[in-house]
Amino acid sequence: MARHPAYRRYTRRMAGLGAAYVAAILVAATFIPDGSPPTPAAIALALVPGIAVLGVIWTMGRLLLELDDEYLRLLEVRKFIVATGLLLAFASLWGLLELFTAVPRVPVFYAFPVWCLGLGAGALYNRLTMGEDGSCP
Amino acid sequence: MKNRLKILRAERDWSQQALADRLGVSRQSVNAIETGKYDPSLPLAFRIAALFNLAIEDIFSSPSSGE
Repeated sequence: MARHPAYRRYTRRMAGLGAAYVAAILVAATFIPDGSPPTPAAIALALVPGIAVLGVIWTMGRLLLELDDEYLRLLEVRKFIVATGLLLAFASLWGLLELFTAVPRVPVFYAFPVWCLGLGAGALYNRLTMGEDGSCP
Repeated sequence: MKNRLKILRAERDWSQQALADRLGVSRQSVNAIETGKYDPSLPLAFRIAALFNLAIEDIFSSPSSGE
């Protein structure tokens, strides 16, 4: 079955941004010493990987805009909703634990990775509720 | 929503992919509509109706309508 062109563009963009993200993290880890004060240079270098993250968010938005097949777009939106719900649930519950107990603090940096894990849960939800048609090609 | 898409497609001896190509959608979309897992938007329902030269209500019907 032919893959929708929007998915091909999405994969290509994600691969490029993923490589840029890893490279930027390596640069930041190399040039910013552990426990560095928040100097303008350190802040600027630390935020460079964030450009790639913003690119990933833009890429996800573009996927929804470029998917002209309404059913495939629905599947993607359902994944986003499941991921968002799981992230909000995790953040709220863990936040309460942090507020009232001595559990370790989870850096907010992990919000996006947790959301991406939620996309996997969303894909599983699509598969379970839509059967073979629930998998994005 | 119930529909006669599978019957109409079979009458023309079209595969799901052939119908999907004519409608400009994915084969998954056609299968999801045929199996009642997904109700198409009004614009897509009009495209389906136009392809078969039928009215929308000749293809789609509400489960509560009893038709």
